[in-house]
Amino acid sequence: MKKITRRDFLQKAAVSPLAGAFLLNMKSPLFSGQSQKSRVILIRDKNALISFKKANPEVIQDMLDQAVMTLLDKSSIQDTWKMLVSANDIVGIKSNVWRYLPTPKDLEDAVKRRLMDVGVKEENIGIDDRGVRRNPIFQKATALINARPARTHHWSGIGSLIKNYIMFVPRASAYHGDSCADLATIWKEYNLVDKTKLNILVMLNPLFHSVGPHNYNDEYVWEYKGLIVSQDPVAADSVGLRIIEAKRQEYFGKKVAFETPAKHIRIAETRHGLGVADPSKIELIKLGWKEDILI
Amino acid sequence: MANFKPENQIDTSEFIPKELNGWKAKGKDKIYDENSIFDYIDGAGEVYRAYQFRVLRARHFSKPESPNILVDLFDMGSSRNAYGVFTHNLEGERKGIGQGSTYKGGLLSFWKGRYFISLYAERETQESKKTVLELGQEISSRIPNKGKVPEIVSQLPEQGLDRTRIRYFYNPLILNYHFYVGEGNLLSLNTETHAVLGVYGEGEEVFRVLLIQYPNETKAQKSHQNFIKGYMPDSKDSTMIQTEDGKWTGTDIQGSVLIVVFEAPTQARVQDMIHKAKK
Repeated sequence: MKKITRRDFLQKAAVSPLAGAFLLNMKSPLFSGQSQKSRVILIRDKNALISFKKANPEVIQDMLDQAVMTLLDKSSIQDTWKMLVSANDIVGIKSNVWRYLPTPKDLEDAVKRRLMDVGVKEENIGIDDRGVRRNPIFQKATALINARPARTHHWSGIGSLIKNYIMFVPRASAYHGDSCADLATIWKEYNLVDKTKLNILVMLNPLFHSVGPHNYNDEYVWEYKGLIVSQDPVAADSVGLRIIEAKRQEYFGKKVAFETPAKHIRIAETRHGLGVADPSKIELIKLGWKEDILI
Repeated sequence: MANFKPENQIDTSEFIPKELNGWKAKGKDKIYDENSIFDYIDGAGEVYRAYQFRVLRARHFSKPESPNILVDLFDMGSSRNAYGVFTHNLEGERKGIGQGSTYKGGLLSFWKGRYFISLYAERETQESKKTVLELGQEISSRIPNKGKVPEIVSQLPEQGLDRTRIRYFYNPLILNYHFYVGEGNLLSLNTETHAVLGVYGEGEEVFRVLLIQYPNETKAQKSHQNFIKGYMPDSKDSTMIQTEDGKWTGTDIQGSVLIVVFEAPTQARVQDMIHKAKK
Protein backbone atom coordinates (compact mmCIF):
# COMPACT_ATOMS: atom_id res chain seq x y z
CA MET A 1 0.00 0.00 0.00
CA LYS A 2 1.33 3.44 -0.88
CA LYS A 3 2.26 5.54 2.12
CA ILE A 4 0.72 8.98 2.32
CA THR A 5 3.18 11.84 2.75
CA ARG A 6 2.71 15.52 3.43
CA ARG A 7 3.20 16.14 -0.26
CA ASP A 8 0.46 13.67 -1.17
CA PHE A 9 -1.79 15.51 1.20
CA LEU A 10 -1.07 18.83 -0.45
CA GLN A 11 -1.99 17.30 -3.80
CA LYS A 12 -5.21 15.82 -2.42
CA ALA A 13 -6.23 19.07 -0.78
CA ALA A 14 -6.39 20.63 -4.22
CA VAL A 15 -9.21 18.30 -5.29
CA SER A 16 -11.24 18.45 -2.09
CA PRO A 17 -14.23 20.36 -3.58
CA LEU A 18 -15.03 17.27 -5.66
CA ALA A 19 -15.16 15.20 -2.53
CA GLY A 20 -17.65 17.65 -1.06
CA ALA A 21 -19.84 17.44 -4.15
CA PHE A 22 -19.89 13.68 -3.87
CA LEU A 23 -20.88 13.92 -0.28
CA LEU A 24 -23.91 16.07 -0.94
CA ASN A 25 -25.27 13.50 -3.36
CA MET A 26 -25.15 10.78 -0.76
CA LYS A 27 -28.37 9.45 0.65
CA SER A 28 -27.65 9.41 4.31
CA PRO A 29 -29.68 9.65 7.50
CA LEU A 30 -27.19 12.24 8.64
CA PHE A 31 -28.68 14.87 6.40
CA SER A 32 -31.92 16.79 6.88
CA GLY A 33 -34.17 15.83 3.98
CA GLN A 34 -35.22 18.91 2.00
CA SER A 35 -32.30 21.21 2.54
CA GLN A 36 -29.57 18.60 1.96
CA LYS A 37 -27.83 20.25 4.87
CA SER A 38 -26.82 18.62 8.09
CA ARG A 39 -28.93 19.91 10.91
CA VAL A 40 -27.16 20.86 14.11
CA ILE A 41 -28.86 22.08 17.25
CA LEU A 42 -26.97 24.36 19.61
CA ILE A 43 -28.88 24.72 22.85
CA ARG A 44 -27.77 26.77 25.83
CA ASP A 45 -29.30 27.44 29.22
CA LYS A 46 -28.03 29.95 31.74
CA ASN A 47 -28.91 27.51 34.54
CA ALA A 48 -27.23 24.45 33.05
CA LEU A 49 -24.57 24.44 35.75
CA ILE A 50 -25.12 24.43 39.50
CA SER A 51 -21.50 25.25 40.20
CA PHE A 52 -18.13 24.99 38.44
CA LYS A 53 -18.30 21.85 36.27
CA LYS A 54 -21.39 20.55 38.13
CA ALA A 55 -24.37 20.14 35.82
CA ASN A 56 -27.97 20.79 36.79
CA PRO A 57 -29.70 17.44 36.04
CA GLU A 58 -33.18 18.82 35.40
CA VAL A 59 -31.93 21.53 33.08
CA ILE A 60 -29.72 19.06 31.23
CA GLN A 61 -32.69 16.74 30.67
CA ASP A 62 -34.75 19.61 29.35
CA MET A 63 -31.94 20.82 27.05
CA LEU A 64 -31.50 17.34 25.64
CA ASP A 65 -35.24 16.93 25.06
CA GLN A 66 -35.62 20.31 23.36
CA ALA A 67 -32.59 19.71 21.19
CA VAL A 68 -33.61 16.25 20.03
CA MET A 69 -37.20 17.24 19.30
CA THR A 70 -36.06 20.21 17.24
CA LEU A 71 -33.45 18.11 15.47
CA LEU A 72 -36.05 15.64 14.29
CA ASP A 73 -38.99 18.04 13.92
CA LYS A 74 -41.16 16.36 16.53
CA SER A 75 -43.25 17.76 19.34
CA SER A 76 -43.30 14.66 21.53
CA ILE A 77 -40.23 13.38 23.34
CA GLN A 78 -41.27 9.76 23.00
CA ASP A 79 -42.00 10.04 19.28
CA THR A 80 -38.60 11.62 18.81
CA TRP A 81 -36.70 8.86 20.55
CA LYS A 82 -38.75 6.23 18.73
CA MET A 83 -37.25 7.63 15.54
CA LEU A 84 -33.81 6.95 16.92
CA VAL A 85 -34.13 3.58 18.62
CA SER A 86 -36.62 0.75 19.07
CA ALA A 87 -37.43 -1.21 22.20
CA ASN A 88 -35.43 -4.16 20.92
CA ASP A 89 -32.24 -2.25 20.44
CA ILE A 90 -29.10 -2.87 22.43
CA VAL A 91 -27.70 0.58 23.02
CA GLY A 92 -24.21 1.71 23.89
CA ILE A 93 -23.79 5.24 25.20
CA LYS A 94 -20.22 6.07 24.30
CA SER A 95 -19.15 8.59 26.88
CA ASN A 96 -15.77 9.97 27.86
CA VAL A 97 -14.09 9.51 31.24
CA TRP A 98 -11.25 12.01 30.99
CA ARG A 99 -10.98 13.00 34.62
CA TYR A 100 -10.74 16.75 34.19
CA LEU A 101 -13.75 16.97 31.91
CA PRO A 102 -15.79 13.77 31.67
CA THR A 103 -19.17 13.36 30.01
CA PRO A 104 -21.45 14.54 32.83
CA LYS A 105 -23.25 11.69 34.55
CA ASP A 106 -26.41 13.79 34.45
CA LEU A 107 -26.27 13.75 30.67
CA GLU A 108 -25.65 10.00 30.56
CA ASP A 109 -28.63 9.54 32.88
CA ALA A 110 -30.78 11.84 30.75
CA VAL A 111 -30.04 9.79 27.63
CA LYS A 112 -30.57 6.52 29.43
CA ARG A 113 -33.91 7.72 30.80
CA ARG A 114 -35.19 8.50 27.33
CA LEU A 115 -33.99 5.17 25.98
CA MET A 116 -35.89 3.37 28.72
CA ASP A 117 -38.95 5.54 28.11
CA VAL A 118 -39.25 4.04 24.64
CA GLY A 119 -38.89 0.52 25.98
CA VAL A 120 -35.19 -0.26 25.74
CA LYS A 121 -34.47 -2.62 28.61
CA GLU A 122 -32.04 -1.34 31.21
CA GLU A 123 -29.91 -4.46 30.85
CA ASN A 124 -29.58 -3.63 27.16
CA ILE A 125 -28.08 -0.21 27.81
CA GLY A 126 -24.38 0.22 28.45
CA ILE A 127 -22.37 3.34 29.26
CA ASP A 128 -18.66 3.06 28.66
CA ASP A 129 -15.55 4.70 27.28
CA ARG A 130 -12.23 2.91 27.59
CA GLY A 131 -13.81 -0.50 28.01
CA VAL A 132 -16.00 -0.53 24.90
CA ARG A 133 -14.02 -3.25 23.17
CA ARG A 134 -14.54 -5.61 26.09
CA ASN A 135 -18.06 -4.52 27.01
CA PRO A 136 -20.66 -7.12 25.91
CA ILE A 137 -23.30 -4.43 25.39
CA PHE A 138 -21.04 -2.56 22.99
CA GLN A 139 -20.00 -5.77 21.30
CA LYS A 140 -23.65 -6.55 20.56
CA ALA A 141 -24.86 -2.97 20.20
CA THR A 142 -27.41 -2.27 17.50
CA ALA A 143 -27.43 1.45 18.29
CA LEU A 144 -24.96 3.95 19.69
CA ILE A 145 -25.31 7.36 21.27
CA ASN A 146 -22.07 9.35 21.14
CA ALA A 147 -21.63 11.92 23.92
CA ARG A 148 -18.50 13.74 24.99
CA PRO A 149 -17.25 17.14 26.11
CA ALA A 150 -15.43 19.38 23.66
CA ARG A 151 -11.82 20.14 24.54
CA THR A 152 -8.48 20.86 23.02
CA HIS A 153 -6.44 17.73 22.50
CA HIS A 154 -2.75 16.98 22.19
CA TRP A 155 -2.87 14.77 19.10
CA SER A 156 -5.99 15.88 17.27
CA GLY A 157 -6.31 19.58 18.11
CA ILE A 158 -9.83 19.01 19.39
CA GLY A 159 -11.24 16.09 21.34
CA SER A 160 -14.19 15.71 19.02
CA LEU A 161 -17.17 13.43 18.53
CA ILE A 162 -15.31 11.88 15.63
CA LYS A 163 -12.38 11.16 17.92
CA ASN A 164 -14.55 9.78 20.70
CA TYR A 165 -14.73 6.47 18.84
CA ILE A 166 -10.99 5.88 19.04
CA MET A 167 -11.61 3.48 21.90
CA PHE A 168 -13.12 1.04 19.40
CA VAL A 169 -9.67 0.46 17.91
CA PRO A 170 -7.05 -1.78 19.51
CA ARG A 171 -4.17 0.69 19.18
CA ALA A 172 -5.15 4.33 19.35
CA SER A 173 -1.65 5.59 18.57
CA ALA A 174 -1.95 4.17 15.06
CA TYR A 175 -4.21 7.14 14.30
CA HIS A 176 -2.03 9.86 15.83
CA GLY A 177 -0.05 10.66 12.67
CA ASP A 178 -0.68 13.92 10.83
CA SER A 179 -2.76 15.39 13.68
CA CYS A 180 -5.10 12.36 13.63
CA ALA A 181 -6.18 13.40 10.13
CA ASP A 182 -7.86 10.11 9.30
CA LEU A 183 -9.84 9.47 12.48
CA ALA A 184 -13.03 9.29 10.46
CA THR A 185 -11.93 5.97 9.00
CA ILE A 186 -12.60 4.36 12.38
CA TRP A 187 -16.30 4.95 11.92
CA LYS A 188 -16.36 2.97 8.71
CA GLU A 189 -13.80 0.32 9.58
CA TYR A 190 -15.61 -0.58 12.78
CA ASN A 191 -19.12 -0.35 11.38
CA LEU A 192 -20.13 2.59 13.55
CA VAL A 193 -21.66 4.97 11.02
CA ASP A 194 -25.14 3.50 10.76
CA LYS A 195 -25.27 2.39 14.37
CA THR A 196 -24.76 5.92 15.63
CA LYS A 197 -28.16 7.48 16.15
CA LEU A 198 -27.23 10.67 17.91
CA ASN A 199 -24.15 12.75 18.67
CA ILE A 200 -23.96 15.11 21.62
CA LEU A 201 -21.00 17.44 21.94
CA VAL A 202 -21.03 18.70 25.50
CA MET A 203 -20.26 22.42 25.63
CA LEU A 204 -21.12 23.05 29.27
CA ASN A 205 -17.57 24.11 30.06
CA PRO A 206 -15.31 23.39 27.11
CA LEU A 207 -11.52 23.48 27.34
CA PHE A 208 -10.17 25.92 24.76
CA HIS A 209 -6.43 25.66 25.35
CA SER A 210 -4.11 22.94 26.68
CA VAL A 211 -0.89 23.03 28.61
CA GLY A 212 1.34 20.46 30.29
CA PRO A 213 1.33 16.69 30.51
CA HIS A 214 -2.28 16.63 31.62
CA ASN A 215 -3.36 19.11 28.96
CA TYR A 216 -5.61 20.84 31.42
CA ASN A 217 -5.88 24.06 33.36
CA ASP A 218 -8.99 25.54 34.99
CA GLU A 219 -7.95 28.84 33.49
CA TYR A 220 -8.81 27.56 30.03
CA VAL A 221 -12.34 26.32 30.57
CA TRP A 222 -15.33 28.61 30.43
CA GLU A 223 -18.97 28.24 31.30
CA TYR A 224 -20.61 28.15 27.90
CA LYS A 225 -23.52 26.06 29.22
CA GLY A 226 -24.40 24.45 25.93
CA LEU A 227 -25.00 21.19 24.12
CA ILE A 228 -24.50 20.60 20.41
CA VAL A 229 -26.72 17.84 19.08
CA SER A 230 -26.76 16.33 15.63
CA GLN A 231 -26.95 13.09 13.71
CA ASP A 232 -23.91 14.25 11.77
CA PRO A 233 -20.83 14.05 14.01
CA VAL A 234 -18.72 16.08 11.61
CA ALA A 235 -21.20 18.95 11.48
CA ALA A 236 -21.55 18.98 15.27
CA ASP A 237 -17.76 19.00 15.66
CA SER A 238 -17.42 21.73 13.07
CA VAL A 239 -19.81 23.97 15.03
CA GLY A 240 -18.02 23.16 18.30
CA LEU A 241 -14.66 23.94 16.73
CA ARG A 242 -15.85 27.33 15.51
CA ILE A 243 -17.04 28.23 19.00
CA ILE A 244 -13.73 27.18 20.56
CA GLU A 245 -11.79 29.12 17.93
CA ALA A 246 -13.89 32.19 18.70
CA LYS A 247 -13.24 31.76 22.41
CA ARG A 248 -9.49 31.56 21.80
CA GLN A 249 -9.64 34.73 19.76
CA GLU A 250 -11.55 36.46 22.55
CA TYR A 251 -9.24 35.19 25.30
CA PHE A 252 -5.89 35.76 23.60
CA GLY A 253 -6.97 38.95 21.85
CA LYS A 254 -5.80 37.58 18.50
CA LYS A 255 -6.07 34.49 16.39
CA VAL A 256 -3.92 31.82 18.03
CA ALA A 257 -3.52 28.61 16.07
CA PHE A 258 -4.02 25.32 17.86
CA GLU A 259 -0.75 23.62 18.74
CA THR A 260 -2.11 20.73 16.67
CA PRO A 261 -4.49 21.68 13.86
CA ALA A 262 -7.96 20.16 14.23
CA LYS A 263 -7.95 19.24 10.56
CA HIS A 264 -9.45 15.80 11.12
CA ILE A 265 -12.87 17.46 11.18
CA ARG A 266 -12.48 19.00 7.72
CA ILE A 267 -10.85 15.84 6.40
CA ALA A 268 -13.73 13.75 7.74
CA GLU A 269 -15.77 15.52 5.07
CA THR A 270 -13.33 16.04 2.22
CA ARG A 271 -11.45 12.75 2.33
CA HIS A 272 -13.80 10.37 4.10
CA GLY A 273 -17.33 11.63 3.50
CA LEU A 274 -18.45 10.93 7.05
CA GLY A 275 -20.45 14.16 7.27
CA VAL A 276 -20.07 17.84 6.53
CA ALA A 277 -17.75 20.37 8.11
CA ASP A 278 -18.31 23.25 5.72
CA PRO A 279 -20.56 25.80 7.51
CA SER A 280 -22.46 26.49 4.28
CA LYS A 281 -23.68 22.87 4.36
CA ILE A 282 -24.85 23.03 7.96
CA GLU A 283 -28.26 24.13 9.12
CA LEU A 284 -27.46 25.50 12.56
CA ILE A 285 -30.45 26.05 14.85
CA LYS A 286 -29.76 27.97 18.03
CA LEU A 287 -32.03 27.49 21.02
CA GLY A 288 -32.10 29.10 24.45
CA TRP A 289 -29.62 31.49 26.01
CA LYS A 290 -27.85 33.69 23.44
CA GLU A 291 -25.45 35.81 25.49
CA ASP A 292 -21.80 35.41 24.42
CA ILE A 293 -22.83 32.66 22.03
CA LEU A 294 -19.69 33.18 19.89
CA ILE A 295 -21.26 31.81 16.71
CA MET B 1 -0.67 1.48 38.61
CA ALA B 2 2.79 0.00 38.23
CA ASN B 3 4.65 -2.02 40.82
CA PHE B 4 7.63 0.10 41.70
CA LYS B 5 10.83 -1.90 41.50
CA PRO B 6 13.52 -0.18 43.53
CA GLU B 7 16.16 -2.66 42.40
CA ASN B 8 15.82 -1.42 38.82
CA GLN B 9 15.29 2.26 39.45
CA ILE B 10 16.72 5.13 41.41
CA ASP B 11 14.37 5.95 44.26
CA THR B 12 13.20 9.42 43.31
CA SER B 13 11.00 9.97 46.35
CA GLU B 14 13.62 12.10 48.09
CA PHE B 15 13.87 14.45 45.13
CA ILE B 16 10.49 15.93 45.96
CA PRO B 17 9.95 17.71 49.28
CA LYS B 18 6.97 16.64 51.35
CA GLU B 19 5.94 20.13 52.34
CA LEU B 20 6.45 23.71 51.22
CA ASN B 21 4.76 27.02 52.09
CA GLY B 22 1.91 25.17 53.79
CA TRP B 23 1.28 22.76 50.90
CA LYS B 24 1.57 19.17 52.11
CA ALA B 25 1.90 15.92 50.19
CA LYS B 26 -1.51 14.28 49.97
CA GLY B 27 -1.57 10.49 50.35
CA LYS B 28 1.07 8.18 48.95
CA ASP B 29 2.95 8.86 45.75
CA LYS B 30 1.54 7.14 42.72
CA ILE B 31 3.86 5.35 40.36
CA TYR B 32 3.14 4.72 36.69
CA ASP B 33 5.01 2.83 34.02
CA GLU B 34 4.72 2.75 30.24
CA ASN B 35 1.56 0.66 30.40
CA SER B 36 -0.27 2.37 33.23
CA ILE B 37 0.55 5.95 32.21
CA PHE B 38 -2.67 6.22 30.22
CA ASP B 39 -4.64 5.81 33.45
CA TYR B 40 -3.10 9.08 34.54
CA ILE B 41 -2.29 11.17 31.51
CA ASP B 42 -4.62 10.07 28.72
CA GLY B 43 -3.49 10.09 25.06
CA ALA B 44 -0.56 12.44 25.62
CA GLY B 45 1.09 9.59 27.55
CA GLU B 46 2.22 8.46 24.11
CA VAL B 47 4.72 11.31 24.08
CA TYR B 48 6.53 9.97 27.15
CA ARG B 49 6.51 6.48 25.72
CA ALA B 50 8.01 7.83 22.51
CA TYR B 51 10.94 9.00 24.63
CA GLN B 52 11.12 5.66 26.44
CA PHE B 53 10.33 6.93 29.90
CA ARG B 54 10.80 4.43 32.70
CA VAL B 55 8.80 5.54 35.67
CA LEU B 56 6.60 8.45 36.62
CA ARG B 57 6.25 9.46 40.25
CA ALA B 58 3.21 11.62 40.92
CA ARG B 59 2.91 13.50 44.19
CA HIS B 60 -0.05 15.74 44.84
CA PHE B 61 0.05 18.61 47.31
CA SER B 62 -2.86 20.28 49.03
CA LYS B 63 -3.37 23.26 51.30
CA PRO B 64 -6.67 24.45 52.77
CA GLU B 65 -8.40 27.11 50.65
CA SER B 66 -5.67 26.84 47.99
CA PRO B 67 -5.42 25.06 44.66
CA ASN B 68 -3.82 21.61 44.57
CA ILE B 69 -0.33 21.31 43.13
CA LEU B 70 0.58 18.24 41.11
CA VAL B 71 4.20 17.20 40.79
CA ASP B 72 5.03 14.65 38.11
CA LEU B 73 8.62 13.46 38.08
CA PHE B 74 9.52 11.37 35.06
CA ASP B 75 12.61 9.19 35.20
CA MET B 76 13.39 9.19 31.49
CA GLY B 77 16.34 6.83 31.79
CA SER B 78 18.80 9.16 30.03
CA SER B 79 19.43 12.85 29.64
CA ARG B 80 18.72 12.74 25.92
CA ASN B 81 15.22 11.49 26.68
CA ALA B 82 14.69 14.08 29.40
CA TYR B 83 15.90 16.87 27.16
CA GLY B 84 13.86 15.54 24.23
CA VAL B 85 10.58 15.33 26.09
CA PHE B 86 11.18 18.80 27.48
CA THR B 87 11.52 20.15 23.94
CA HIS B 88 8.17 18.67 22.96
CA ASN B 89 6.30 21.61 24.49
CA LEU B 90 8.24 24.82 24.93
CA GLU B 91 5.39 27.23 25.48
CA GLY B 92 5.97 29.72 28.29
CA GLU B 93 8.53 31.92 30.00
CA ARG B 94 12.05 30.68 30.73
CA LYS B 95 12.61 30.51 34.48
CA GLY B 96 16.21 29.36 34.88
CA ILE B 97 15.28 26.19 36.74
CA GLY B 98 17.11 22.92 36.09
CA GLN B 99 18.81 22.73 32.69
CA GLY B 100 15.91 24.31 30.86
CA SER B 101 12.47 25.38 32.02
CA THR B 102 9.24 26.98 30.94
CA TYR B 103 6.41 28.43 33.00
CA LYS B 104 2.93 29.33 31.88
CA GLY B 105 -0.47 29.52 33.53
CA GLY B 106 0.46 27.60 36.68
CA LEU B 107 2.55 25.00 34.87
CA LEU B 108 6.30 24.72 35.32
CA SER B 109 8.23 22.20 33.22
CA PHE B 110 11.95 21.59 33.43
CA TRP B 111 14.58 18.95 32.86
CA LYS B 112 17.75 18.04 34.68
CA GLY B 113 19.95 14.99 34.22
CA ARG B 114 17.74 12.08 33.26
CA TYR B 115 14.61 13.62 34.76
CA PHE B 116 11.77 15.63 33.34
CA ILE B 117 9.58 17.35 35.88
CA SER B 118 6.21 18.99 35.56
CA LEU B 119 4.62 20.99 38.38
CA TYR B 120 1.13 22.20 37.94
CA ALA B 121 -1.09 24.35 40.17
CA GLU B 122 -4.72 23.55 39.42
CA ARG B 123 -5.39 27.28 39.65
CA GLU B 124 -2.78 29.98 39.33
CA THR B 125 -2.65 32.42 42.24
CA GLN B 126 0.29 34.56 43.34
CA GLU B 127 0.86 32.11 46.17
CA SER B 128 0.56 28.96 44.06
CA LYS B 129 2.87 30.41 41.41
CA LYS B 130 5.48 31.25 44.04
CA THR B 131 5.23 27.76 45.53
CA VAL B 132 5.41 26.00 42.16
CA LEU B 133 8.59 27.91 41.29
CA GLU B 134 10.17 27.32 44.71
CA LEU B 135 9.23 23.68 44.62
CA GLY B 136 10.80 23.41 41.19
CA GLN B 137 14.03 25.01 42.41
CA GLU B 138 14.10 22.66 45.37
CA ILE B 139 13.57 19.55 43.24
CA SER B 140 16.26 20.71 40.83
CA SER B 141 18.73 21.20 43.69
CA ARG B 142 18.07 17.66 44.92
CA ILE B 143 18.81 16.05 41.55
CA PRO B 144 22.54 15.48 41.76
CA ASN B 145 23.79 15.23 38.18
CA LYS B 146 23.41 17.33 35.11
CA GLY B 147 22.79 15.83 31.70
CA LYS B 148 24.10 16.56 28.27
CA VAL B 149 22.20 18.13 25.40
CA PRO B 150 22.59 15.80 22.40
CA GLU B 151 25.41 16.81 20.09
CA ILE B 152 23.20 17.01 16.99
CA VAL B 153 21.36 20.03 18.43
CA SER B 154 24.47 22.20 18.14
CA GLN B 155 24.74 21.33 14.44
CA LEU B 156 21.64 23.31 13.50
CA PRO B 157 22.65 26.47 11.62
CA GLU B 158 22.62 29.33 14.14
CA GLN B 159 21.54 32.23 11.97
CA GLY B 160 17.78 32.77 12.08
CA LEU B 161 17.16 29.76 14.32
CA ASP B 162 14.15 30.15 16.62
CA ARG B 163 15.71 28.82 19.81
CA THR B 164 12.31 28.46 21.48
CA ARG B 165 11.22 25.85 18.95
CA ILE B 166 14.08 23.33 18.77
CA ARG B 167 12.77 19.75 19.01
CA TYR B 168 14.94 16.74 19.67
CA PHE B 169 13.60 13.21 19.11
CA TYR B 170 14.19 9.81 17.55
CA ASN B 171 10.65 8.60 17.04
CA PRO B 172 8.63 9.18 13.85
CA LEU B 173 5.50 9.88 15.91
CA ILE B 174 7.17 12.95 17.39
CA LEU B 175 8.53 14.12 14.03
CA ASN B 176 5.07 13.84 12.53
CA TYR B 177 3.58 15.75 15.45
CA HIS B 178 5.82 18.75 14.88
CA PHE B 179 5.99 18.46 11.12
CA TYR B 180 4.09 15.81 9.24
CA VAL B 181 6.41 14.04 6.82
CA GLY B 182 4.45 10.90 6.05
CA GLU B 183 2.90 7.72 7.32
CA GLY B 184 5.12 5.11 8.84
CA ASN B 185 8.82 5.70 9.29
CA LEU B 186 10.14 7.10 6.03
CA LEU B 187 13.39 8.29 7.62
CA SER B 188 14.11 5.12 9.62
CA LEU B 189 14.15 6.88 12.97
CA ASN B 190 14.89 4.68 15.96
CA THR B 191 16.77 4.68 19.25
CA GLU B 192 20.09 4.53 17.40
CA THR B 193 19.39 7.85 15.68
CA HIS B 194 19.39 11.44 16.91
CA ALA B 195 17.12 13.94 15.19
CA VAL B 196 16.62 17.64 15.64
CA LEU B 197 14.11 19.92 13.99
CA GLY B 198 14.74 23.66 13.89
CA VAL B 199 12.41 26.45 12.78
CA TYR B 200 13.60 29.46 10.80
CA GLY B 201 12.02 32.54 9.26
CA GLU B 202 8.80 34.34 10.10
CA GLY B 203 5.18 34.50 8.98
CA GLU B 204 4.61 33.03 5.53
CA GLU B 205 8.33 32.36 5.15
CA VAL B 206 8.70 29.91 8.03
CA PHE B 207 10.67 26.82 7.09
CA ARG B 208 12.33 23.93 8.89
CA VAL B 209 15.67 22.18 8.97
CA LEU B 210 15.80 18.55 10.02
CA LEU B 211 19.10 16.88 10.89
CA ILE B 212 19.32 13.17 11.60
CA GLN B 213 22.44 11.50 12.88
CA TYR B 214 22.57 7.80 11.91
CA PRO B 215 24.91 5.23 13.43
CA ASN B 216 26.96 5.11 10.22
CA GLU B 217 27.25 6.56 6.73
CA THR B 218 25.66 3.54 5.05
CA LYS B 219 22.45 3.98 7.03
CA ALA B 220 22.43 7.71 6.38
CA GLN B 221 22.80 7.12 2.63
CA LYS B 222 20.05 4.53 2.62
CA SER B 223 17.67 6.89 4.43
CA HIS B 224 18.61 9.69 2.08
CA GLN B 225 17.67 7.54 -0.90
CA ASN B 226 14.45 6.36 0.76
CA PHE B 227 13.49 9.93 1.49
CA ILE B 228 14.03 11.05 -2.09
CA LYS B 229 12.08 8.06 -3.37
CA GLY B 230 9.20 8.40 -0.89
CA TYR B 231 8.87 12.15 -0.46
CA MET B 232 10.02 13.56 -3.77
CA PRO B 233 9.56 10.75 -6.30
CA ASP B 234 9.10 13.25 -9.15
CA SER B 235 12.40 15.00 -8.47
CA LYS B 236 14.20 12.83 -11.06
CA ASP B 237 17.93 13.06 -10.34
CA SER B 238 17.66 16.20 -8.27
CA THR B 239 17.77 16.36 -4.48
CA MET B 240 15.56 19.40 -4.44
CA ILE B 241 11.95 19.95 -5.43
CA GLN B 242 9.35 22.66 -5.53
CA THR B 243 6.30 21.39 -3.67
CA GLU B 244 2.66 21.98 -4.57
CA ASP B 245 2.46 25.04 -2.34
CA GLY B 246 5.28 26.74 -4.25
CA LYS B 247 7.90 26.16 -1.56
CA TRP B 248 11.19 24.32 -1.82
CA THR B 249 12.35 21.15 -0.11
CA GLY B 250 15.85 19.77 -0.47
CA THR B 251 18.11 17.19 1.08
CA ASP B 252 21.74 16.19 1.32
CA ILE B 253 24.05 14.15 3.52
CA GLN B 254 27.23 14.94 5.35
CA GLY B 255 28.91 11.79 6.62
CA SER B 256 26.35 10.03 8.78
CA VAL B 257 24.07 13.07 9.06
CA LEU B 258 21.04 13.49 6.82
CA ILE B 259 20.01 17.10 6.19
CA VAL B 260 16.53 18.06 5.00
CA VAL B 261 15.26 21.61 4.51
CA PHE B 262 11.47 21.67 4.37
CA GLU B 263 9.36 24.33 2.68
CA ALA B 264 11.88 27.11 2.30
CA PRO B 265 10.66 30.13 0.33
CA THR B 266 13.35 29.83 -2.36
CA GLN B 267 15.70 27.31 -3.88
CA ALA B 268 18.64 29.51 -2.86
CA ARG B 269 17.53 29.40 0.75
CA VAL B 270 17.54 25.58 0.69
CA GLN B 271 21.06 25.55 -0.74
CA ASP B 272 22.23 28.10 1.79
CA MET B 273 20.83 26.16 4.76
CA ILE B 274 22.30 22.88 3.55
CA HIS B 275 25.65 24.60 3.10
CA LYS B 276 25.49 25.99 6.65
CA ALA B 277 24.42 22.67 8.13
CA LYS B 278 27.42 20.98 6.53
CA LYS B 279 29.92 23.32 8.18
